[in-house]
Amino acid sequence: MQTAISPAPHTPAPGDHDYAVTGIDSRKLGMWGFLASECLFFGALISSHLLYRSRAPEGVHKPHDVYDIPYTSVSSFVLLMSSLTMVLALAAIQRGDDRRLRTWLLATAFLGTVFIGGQIYEFTVFTHEGLNLSTSVAASSFFVLTGFHGVHVTVGILWLMSLVGISLRGHLPAEKHLQVEIAGLYWHFVDIVWIFIFTVVYLVPNTH
Amino acid sequence: MAEEQEGEGAVATEEEPAATPELEAAPEHQGALLHHGAQHSHPSPVKYVGIAILLAIITGLEVGLYYIHMPEWLLVTFLMVLALLKFTMVAAFFMHLKFDSPMLRRLFITGIVLAAVVYTVALLTLRVLV
Repeated sequence: MQTAISPAPHTPAPGDHDYAVTGIDSRKLGMWGFLASECLFFGALISSHLLYRSRAPEGVHKPHDVYDIPYTSVSSFVLLMSSLTMVLALAAIQRGDDRRLRTWLLATAFLGTVFIGGQIYEFTVFTHEGLNLSTSVAASSFFVLTGFHGVHVTVGILWLMSLVGISLRGHLPAEKHLQVEIAGLYWHFVDIVWIFIFTVVYLVPNTH
Repeated sequence: MAEEQEGEGAVATEEEPAATPELEAAPEHQGALLHHGAQHSHPSPVKYVGIAILLAIITGLEVGLYYIHMPEWLLVTFLMVLALLKFTMVAAFFMHLKFDSPMLRRLFITGIVLAAVVYTVALLTLRVLV
């Protein structure tokens, strides 16, 4: 217990996070800063798509011509529900319930995998329809935007699975709930980005 | 298992921040320092489920609107409002922005507003939004 009391002036030791200046754990503050910067990253990709989505040669499919709205709606629903399982995982670790923590983390990773599987299937269908990365500027902007989002989801899945592994080895007690909270922030952000991609890219009509 | 893992290191950083010199020096900051302990009033799992059901209903409404014939400007307005509502609900409740430090809220909103302004101006300049 004596190690808990740092000598004055405060010298940060490994694992001793500095709350003194902001009152917020620096890891959590860093994650929110990263997410704020990601708004600009995805904003650029969405704007590029809005700019280029009508630009395709005559006779060549535009992404809007081949969208399957009911299918993508189900994918969006799956990703939205993964946010619920993620927040339930956080609630579980805060209660010290390891078993439910792993169950909800696995459920979140599973739903994320279903979403990615759906995206791969969608890309495959689009390719068969003659729409690929190099077909047109419109197709390129679509694949780059949704592809980058898919990469983010994949990173999230790997992160969640690593947390499951850490928990299985008994290294994720209730006191370390911040590790799950930070992973959750990332996961929820990926979800809210998709909320806008689904609306702006898929649902808003392309009349130009 | 959780009980077995309660080591000294974890106690040192999470359970007894009152023992650190910072807190002894500035007891008025104890609330801010302890907020990280996540024992502040987060919603219950039942409330999380309720929010998720509401999000699912809004998503269904969005898809339903897509199939209803209406002026484009009206459809876009409805869709953007519903998307914004979903965004706010996830950020406020699932990401706990409603309950966490206002600094985090300001940081995130700064990123959103910056992105919105920069890209709206860019798209208006390029006559995409008009």
